[in-house]
Amino acid sequence: MQVWKDIYNYRELLKTNIKKDIRGKYKGSFLGILWSFLNPLLQVVVYWIVFPFLMGRAGAVDNYLCYLVTGIIPWTFFTTVINQGTTSMIVNAGIIKKVYFPREIPLISQALSGLINFFISCIIVVIFCVGTGEGISYHLILLPLIAVIQMILSLGISLILSAIEVYVQDTEYIVNFVLNMGFYATPILYNLDLLKGSGILYTLVSWNPVTLLVNAYRDIFMYHVWPNAVQMIIVIIFSLIVLIIGYKIFKKLEKGFAEEL
Amino acid sequence: MNKENAIEVRNLYKSFKVQYDKAHTLKDRLLIWTKRKSEIHEVLKNISLNIKKGETVALIGTNGSGKSTLLKLMTKIIYPNSGTVQTNGKLTSLLELGAGFHQDFTGRENIYFNASIFGLTRKEIEGRIQDIIDFSELGEFIDNPIRTYSSGMYMRLAFSVAINVDADILLIDEILAVGDQHFQEKCYAKLEELRDSGKTIVIVTHSLGVVKELCHRAIWIYKGEFKLDGDPAYVIDEYLKQSAIDHKELIRKQKETGEYQSKAIINIDSPRDLAKISKTSKKYLLRGWLVTDESKAKLKLFLNQEEIGNVEHEPRPDVYDVYYEQFPGSLDPNTLGWKKELDLSEMKEGNYKFTVSCYGSEGQLMESKEIDFTLEA
Repeated sequence: MQVWKDIYNYRELLKTNIKKDIRGKYKGSFLGILWSFLNPLLQVVVYWIVFPFLMGRAGAVDNYLCYLVTGIIPWTFFTTVINQGTTSMIVNAGIIKKVYFPREIPLISQALSGLINFFISCIIVVIFCVGTGEGISYHLILLPLIAVIQMILSLGISLILSAIEVYVQDTEYIVNFVLNMGFYATPILYNLDLLKGSGILYTLVSWNPVTLLVNAYRDIFMYHVWPNAVQMIIVIIFSLIVLIIGYKIFKKLEKGFAEEL
Repeated sequence: MNKENAIEVRNLYKSFKVQYDKAHTLKDRLLIWTKRKSEIHEVLKNISLNIKKGETVALIGTNGSGKSTLLKLMTKIIYPNSGTVQTNGKLTSLLELGAGFHQDFTGRENIYFNASIFGLTRKEIEGRIQDIIDFSELGEFIDNPIRTYSSGMYMRLAFSVAINVDADILLIDEILAVGDQHFQEKCYAKLEELRDSGKTIVIVTHSLGVVKELCHRAIWIYKGEFKLDGDPAYVIDEYLKQSAIDHKELIRKQKETGEYQSKAIINIDSPRDLAKISKTSKKYLLRGWLVTDESKAKLKLFLNQEEIGNVEHEPRPDVYDVYYEQFPGSLDPNTLGWKKELDLSEMKEGNYKFTVSCYGSEGQLMESKEIDFTLEA
């Protein structure tokens, strides 16, 4: 297939892009790459202090700190890839107008550097699991699989959004809002059981693909059980469909990039 | 596609929609009933051409003639409205220098970034990194972050990567004008080397001298159409003739509307400013030249505000070579120079002011140059 050949030919570009993403981003700052973990961590601390007060007993989850960490870190991975992906054609406008290279390369390298970042962040998750007394188990061998599925899903979404963003620059603001909403439409801060009996809302949140992914992470990190197989297969199929549709849309729209930017 | 061809272009049409206020936000897109001013601008009309393997071809034409668009179509940065472009072999386009450079990384790391955008693999880059560093003449600076570089060093590095990218087909757009004289000569020598090693090169440039020396063939694009194709010397000559006609036409139109401002450049070769001239030599030759596109221009020489007559004209082919592109069709190489012999024996010792002025058709002063010199015993 042409797409694999393109990516293979430009594998060095992919590698240097990832290097630039990971090492270049924080080069000027004192704490450097630590910031990419520090940020979600500080967020966890804020929610950990504030939320039990707001929700009272009703929202209480056992080991809330660990519950938060296993939700927020995957969510950060998801939003980072999508946020950066959406604007990546605009950000790279200068070279897109002047040099030919497969346009999907910046998106793929962003997704991959997000994945690498996430794997490093998982060390923190493990530290929290051990530190709060949950411990770890052999179920963690599924971590790469779940993370890769999540990467495929977010890559597919950012393929669609980045291509639309070139033509309609409101997209990034809409994406921002939708992601903010998505944060609450995913059981990151609260337990899904809390919504039981609310009908449509419960159904929506429980079929949110990110919910299924976050549940899977919690299963392997916190609860030491295998994730629900049916749900996992559904997420895999859904993610692949999004990726294929996203790629088709991207290929359709990319011909006008150099002129529109 | 014919195996001997590196590039085949067939019936190519390209037009741009020029929108005066582009719809970039959702609101603008939704407000379809607000009439947005737009017009279709046809950039290329029915272009067909073959470029054979191993040929070095120049695309020439005035600004806006569509030659850069043609190059972009060949690299597949933009796509045609109709017609096809086919290429055969690994293609690299050097339209932008320093693409993908990151300020905080060293020169060496940036070579990898930049070369990888051109589609090179790590092994290929490692194979030629020494050549690139040598060519850039950066020496030990190569391991410093490029934010510490001067702009000259930056461009040299960028160009060294670009020129050392090895491809079967190289498309180059007007990027050779970097660096000092020495570095430019090196670049041209490198291009000649590439040409002689059998690469296919397509180059867009305004330096016609380069075209004549470097290229096997020149293609002239005129207002989006394929006008002439052949030996560079011949094509350039025809191109310059047409430019002269167009330029005269433009000036005529501007004169009709009263917009036109004719230009003149005066130079005094001798004496130099603040020169000291000895009276013992009896005679002294005042020399210089004038270029102008005003056909009725008058040249006058003054010594201490007094006009001196009987100014002679002389041929100045050297000056003509420099200015014929800037003043197409209005220069005569045989009368560009002026000279006047002064009889020093009749002049008093002391300071003199020498003024050369050029007056336009209605007697207005167009340009003037003034120097001082001293006459000594």
